[in-house]
Amino acid sequence: MFTLVNGLTTGMAVFLVAAGLTLVFGIMRILNFAHGAFFMIGAYVASSLVGSAPRSVLALIAAAVVAALVVGVLGIVVQRFILRRIQHVDEHYMLIATFAVMLVCVGFVKLVWGLEFLSVDPPPGIDAGVEIAGLFIPSFSLFIIASGIVVFLVLDFVIHRAWAGKMITAIARDGWMAELLGINVPAGIMAAVGGSFALAGLAGGLLLPNQTLSPALGDSFLLLAFITVVIGGLGNVRGAFIAAILLGVIDGLNTMFLPAYPGVVVYFAMVAFLLLWPNGILGESRL
Amino acid sequence: MNRLSTYLLVALAAILLLLPLWANSGLVFLTGTTIIVAVFALSWNLLFGYAGLASFGSGGLFSIGAYTMAVMLRQGYEGQFLLLIVLATLAGGVVAFAIGFVALRRSTGIFLAILTLALAELLRITLAKIHWLGAEDGIPSIVRPTFSIGFATVDLSRGNSYYWFVCIACALLVGLTWWIAHGRFGRTLRTIRLDVERAAFMGVDTHRYRLVAFTISGAIAACAGALFAPWAQIVTPDIGNMMRSTQPILFTLLGGASSFWGPLIGAFLFSAIEFSTRTLVGIQEIITGGILLAVVLMFPTGVAGAWNALIAGLSARPEPAKAAPALQPVKE
Repeated sequence: MFTLVNGLTTGMAVFLVAAGLTLVFGIMRILNFAHGAFFMIGAYVASSLVGSAPRSVLALIAAAVVAALVVGVLGIVVQRFILRRIQHVDEHYMLIATFAVMLVCVGFVKLVWGLEFLSVDPPPGIDAGVEIAGLFIPSFSLFIIASGIVVFLVLDFVIHRAWAGKMITAIARDGWMAELLGINVPAGIMAAVGGSFALAGLAGGLLLPNQTLSPALGDSFLLLAFITVVIGGLGNVRGAFIAAILLGVIDGLNTMFLPAYPGVVVYFAMVAFLLLWPNGILGESRL
Repeated sequence: MNRLSTYLLVALAAILLLLPLWANSGLVFLTGTTIIVAVFALSWNLLFGYAGLASFGSGGLFSIGAYTMAVMLRQGYEGQFLLLIVLATLAGGVVAFAIGFVALRRSTGIFLAILTLALAELLRITLAKIHWLGAEDGIPSIVRPTFSIGFATVDLSRGNSYYWFVCIACALLVGLTWWIAHGRFGRTLRTIRLDVERAAFMGVDTHRYRLVAFTISGAIAACAGALFAPWAQIVTPDIGNMMRSTQPILFTLLGGASSFWGPLIGAFLFSAIEFSTRTLVGIQEIITGGILLAVVLMFPTGVAGAWNALIAGLSARPEPAKAAPALQPVKE
């Protein structure tokens, strides 16, 4: 049970990062290496706002929202000047271009915030734990799980039910046709990519407490987010959600049964998933 | 390759060989490392530029070679140093074959990239947990070996002798790769990269060719790793981390994937940039990233492609009639 909660926490944390990644892929067919770096920028921006001890849960959420806005604007800039130009080149060059963006972001973070490690405590209200059915559960875990679920529900609603989502889906499926139908395609793509980057910033802000902030923060989440996105099916938000939960639980079981080898089983699981379902468990999706 | 490029290449080789005579030891170490990773990048491009497969886990094979060498030297087999290099190369080849055998039939493109990335990361995490291999701290104080080759004894532990040994070994590896890439095998690989279906239709066993390319590339990567272990004199799990795996990709694309010499050019340019910006924390990444972006956006054929186009343009100018054939061979 405790394993399950821990696993879910990890899973939701990864999902928060992976959501934006899979969306950018769904819209632009670009696997964005720089996503982890934007997540990191979000975390740094939020930490500058709340300091090392945020005053309340609301302050943390507000900081995360501001971080999301900042990173979203950055994302629009990156999309306009870089991503748009590499959309139709060989996919390996896309990876390199986004890798270059990542390097620039890391350099930027080192310049602005320096090399020291920063840490932020959970705000009062979610810094203790609660007892549910005789189990002690850190309430910050519950906060992350709740954030992950809320973000997923909102995304799923927007993509599959709302008008904006249908428009973006139309653009992703056939931009030329969407243009003919009078949809402003460049504006739509820009909004969607901005939104995806904003998700990275939001994730950075929400996951801020209990993190050690360092310029290497992006890498540690990036790989797990990559794995999640690929296992879930590229561009598929529902798939990413399920994959994130699966990976989280696998990781939790790993810590319980093989405490000497943390984080090893996830990679085995991933290799197995990739070989069994090369297109992801829910299949690739153009959003 | 045209005459000017050949002269440049010879001049560069001469500078590299004579470097320890005037440079300080820090620069020599950096250059030696660059030579080794340049060969490593070359092995990667054999796979990417010729077979059209992008592996993001080549760092894992590099570290297999390095660890094999480090363990064997620790066990005291330094007398058979040349054999150890062969052994490490074989180890890399066998592992690459096993991975390629399972993975290549099912996945290419992004999936192969992520799969190899995950495998390399798995290897790194596992290495960091094995106490026999020094766990996180790796294997320190690796000796530079002394061995005999029948009529003479070679002592690589003194002065810069290991640097020259690395130069010779890497030159041989470059030659070998050149021979592989320009022979019938390399041409067939290129056919496959350009059009898999058509190659298969012409009777090429595309899977087998790709698997062989994957194996050769892995073996050369491991060989580079084996040369690296006594050079750095320490191996740690981080020797095969994600940055190591992306190194050859950066070098290749910076230098130009369509050119055989591209990865080598890229490796030296990259090292030069890093060396000249080493004191600027933060700016270094911005400059490196900025240059990469500029290359990808403006010269997708890399520095080698731009250079060849320039040469072709210069030599074509006096005789405009010959312009068309002169522009075409951007390949070599």
